[in-house]
Amino acid sequence: MSRASAIENALAYFDDGGYLAELGPRIAIPTESQNPERLAVLRDYLEQEMIPAFEAMGHDCQVFENPAEGGGPVLLACRIEDSAFPTVLGYGHGDVVRGQEGNWKNDRDPWTIEQDGDRVYGRGTADNKGQHILNMAAMRHVIETRGSLGFNSKFMIEMGEENGSAGLEQIVSENKEAFSADVFIASDGPRISPDTPTIFLGARGAKNFDLVVDLREGGHHSGNWGGLLANPGIILAQALATIVGPTGELLVKDLLPPPISNSVREALKGIAIDVGENGPEIDPEWGAPGLTPAERVYAWNIFEILTMTTGNPANPVNAVPPKARAHCQYRFVAGSKRDEALDILRRHLDENGFEQVRIEPPPPGNAIDFKATRTELDHPWAIWVRDAIERTKGTPPALLPSLGGSICNDIFTDILGLPSIWIPHSYGACSQHAPNEHILLSEFRDAISVMTGVYWDLGEDGTPS
Amino acid sequence: MSRQAAIERIDTYMEGGGFLDDLSRRVAIHTESQEDTQIGELHRYLDEEMQPYLEDMGFSCEKFENSIEGGGPFLIATRHEADDLPTVLSYGHGDVVRGYDDQWHEGLSPWTITKEGNRWYGRGTADNKGQHTINLSALKAVLEERGKLGFNVKVLLETGEERGSPGLREFCQAQSEKLKADVLVASDGPRLSPDRPTIFMGSRGVFNFTMRVDLREGGHHSGNWGGLLANPGVILTHAISSIVSPKGEVLVDGLRPPGPIPNSVRAAITNLKIDGGEGAPEIDPDWGEPGFTAGEKVFGWNTFEILAYTTGTPGKPVNAVPPSAEATCHIRFVPPTDSHGFIPCLREHLDANGFSMVELTASRECMNATRLDPDHPWAKWVVASIEKTSGRKVDVLPNLGGSLPNDAFSEILALPTIWVPHSYAACSQHAPNEHILEGVSHDALQVMTGLWWDMGDGNTPQ
Repeated sequence: MSRASAIENALAYFDDGGYLAELGPRIAIPTESQNPERLAVLRDYLEQEMIPAFEAMGHDCQVFENPAEGGGPVLLACRIEDSAFPTVLGYGHGDVVRGQEGNWKNDRDPWTIEQDGDRVYGRGTADNKGQHILNMAAMRHVIETRGSLGFNSKFMIEMGEENGSAGLEQIVSENKEAFSADVFIASDGPRISPDTPTIFLGARGAKNFDLVVDLREGGHHSGNWGGLLANPGIILAQALATIVGPTGELLVKDLLPPPISNSVREALKGIAIDVGENGPEIDPEWGAPGLTPAERVYAWNIFEILTMTTGNPANPVNAVPPKARAHCQYRFVAGSKRDEALDILRRHLDENGFEQVRIEPPPPGNAIDFKATRTELDHPWAIWVRDAIERTKGTPPALLPSLGGSICNDIFTDILGLPSIWIPHSYGACSQHAPNEHILLSEFRDAISVMTGVYWDLGEDGTPS
Repeated sequence: MSRQAAIERIDTYMEGGGFLDDLSRRVAIHTESQEDTQIGELHRYLDEEMQPYLEDMGFSCEKFENSIEGGGPFLIATRHEADDLPTVLSYGHGDVVRGYDDQWHEGLSPWTITKEGNRWYGRGTADNKGQHTINLSALKAVLEERGKLGFNVKVLLETGEERGSPGLREFCQAQSEKLKADVLVASDGPRLSPDRPTIFMGSRGVFNFTMRVDLREGGHHSGNWGGLLANPGVILTHAISSIVSPKGEVLVDGLRPPGPIPNSVRAAITNLKIDGGEGAPEIDPDWGEPGFTAGEKVFGWNTFEILAYTTGTPGKPVNAVPPSAEATCHIRFVPPTDSHGFIPCLREHLDANGFSMVELTASRECMNATRLDPDHPWAKWVVASIEKTSGRKVDVLPNLGGSLPNDAFSEILALPTIWVPHSYAACSQHAPNEHILEGVSHDALQVMTGLWWDMGDGNTPQ
């Protein structure tokens, strides 16, 4: 009975095909949470796969119905060994984005896993089924090797993350005792590169909204009216140009975060962004001036134009268009003024003569509004997890203050008051949210050793009190 | 047999539903020249509708294929009465912009005329089927009343105006003998004000082009990549913002007229009252060239417009840095601006401002800017005829704000060009809910009947 044999057992399970054998049937359940017709399927995932698996691992399962209309249920699986042990809250989401059938290379079916060399394709392999299934398997090998966990496990699986985690906040708020723990450790998102184990301690927030210039009904012939009627496309372009500079610098001072702290700067020093095979080329001149690429994405704020339309782009006509709309996004790190962001923007537009530009809610299909959260880099649990991974790998993992993307981390940090430690298993070019989503077997093999080591150590002495 | 009787004849035609019938048949033909699949409809308009109609009036017709691939056909219809009579060339276009069938107000269809009060809705009612139908119906009334016209007429119908009149210039060049005339009198575009007749003698030019920023293939997650990947939508808004001010002032010298508005033009346009009529959009007084009157802005100066802009996937937005952005833009310009300078000048401007990644592509077709002196004898003659019929003062514009292929007539055929527009500014031309006003159309039928009557009365300019 040892740490090394637990990891060996987990690797043997992985190498013998045990992992893919568990993954396949779970990918096959098309748990598209953005598709209202799949509501029943979301429950199937919990009832047919998760509950039996957790019960086999000695967890008691409780299903919370979602108070949000159309939202899927939430599972909480608990294995309480001893009230004196530390309690770890785990998390995963069993829902996926739409399958986008027909758009995958080689006619691949998103609901059937397919191995091609080091890659395993399938919807949810990276985000997030593959990640929580791996963590469950790692935990199971600790139980099997040690005979017990040596800590208390609470593991929640939600079914609505890709739809903005509707209802989750309410469920957790109303059941704080059930979800209470000492630390939150879960997996989602990408490592900074496939062979660099990574920890991130929070996530950038994101707020989508529309900027609209709506001047009149209908287009008007640009010959008869050009020069007489204000062009909403021109006004919106000019307004946007005052918000974000020509090289992507966010120009509205009040929307910027406080200066990057020395500890964050230090943590990000030497972290290179690895775009992976087929990843996009980074534009070194883009974004906030004077920052490294890692600082720009993990420690700074950005304003994006996600979509913009004026006139009739598919069939342009010679008319002054009546309105213009830009669907925009503010991504921001912890410490930014998220709640006041739209008021700040309103004031900025007014001060620059753009009273005509309205700020409107985003379309319901893309209405994300995430808080930014961060656990401090020197938090005892952050240091403890870093050391646990170093014990397995021999070198410390990359430690990021924040994920570039956004996740409902505030439920764990703000509502449950937990330090949040994320250990991602995917990589940047995994085509998450797009056709051809896949994982790398070599990376996931590494991840199962990392997670088995972390879960093993959670049952040893020396965890933060 | 009198001028008045001819006008009464056209009144009867209008009031008896003749105009509605003629126009309804023509609107029903889906002559969308911007859709390649509708080429058959362009032929049908000429073969089944216009040619039989004109032959019935004693015209001999000849149809010509377009020398430009994909361009619609032309029709030349000639009624020659005597060699010593004046010859008028008239022009119309049988094609229309896209129907946008599902964007019209409830109960309206682009291909059927629907009457609502004074408004007649339908695609092409204003641009241009309604206008050439008015002119030909007036011609017919004169012919029926007088038994002859008293002048020679050549009618040129094209079917590609809404695509930028591909092949029209080549056609006029090649057929200059067949199209030879003393004056062009034709109708398109709006009156300055619905209740006063307007003439114009040229038009602003129009130059369409796209500005495109294409940075990479596919979108990338804005959380993982936001701040690392240049956003083409952001770049393009800045490129545009360097060309035109937040108030619509053109900022690049080479896109502005090379000199101030000439005095004779300024005298004609400075105090013109622009009244779009009921339903017209409200003019934004602070928009456009600072210090200019409305007339100067639209008839005397150049404008830059974004016609369409797109980045990302607006119908299905995702949280991704979009890969590309594109704006369709155009410049309306007055003489003597040289449109050949636009792209080189924009290229230089964009490069100098750090926007070398913005690709510029000019549309193949461009309409040149043309003007005729408001004191030209034919202009004065037409004004006198119209004032005799309507009893109202005529608004005289050296050029229209919109664009017409007028250079084909004024430069290639070397004709004095007089346009008598029958529409009004708020007609939703080029948009859903295109319509004409019954009252204005009736007035136009009278004005044109009087004008054609006078043309055959022996007192035309030499």
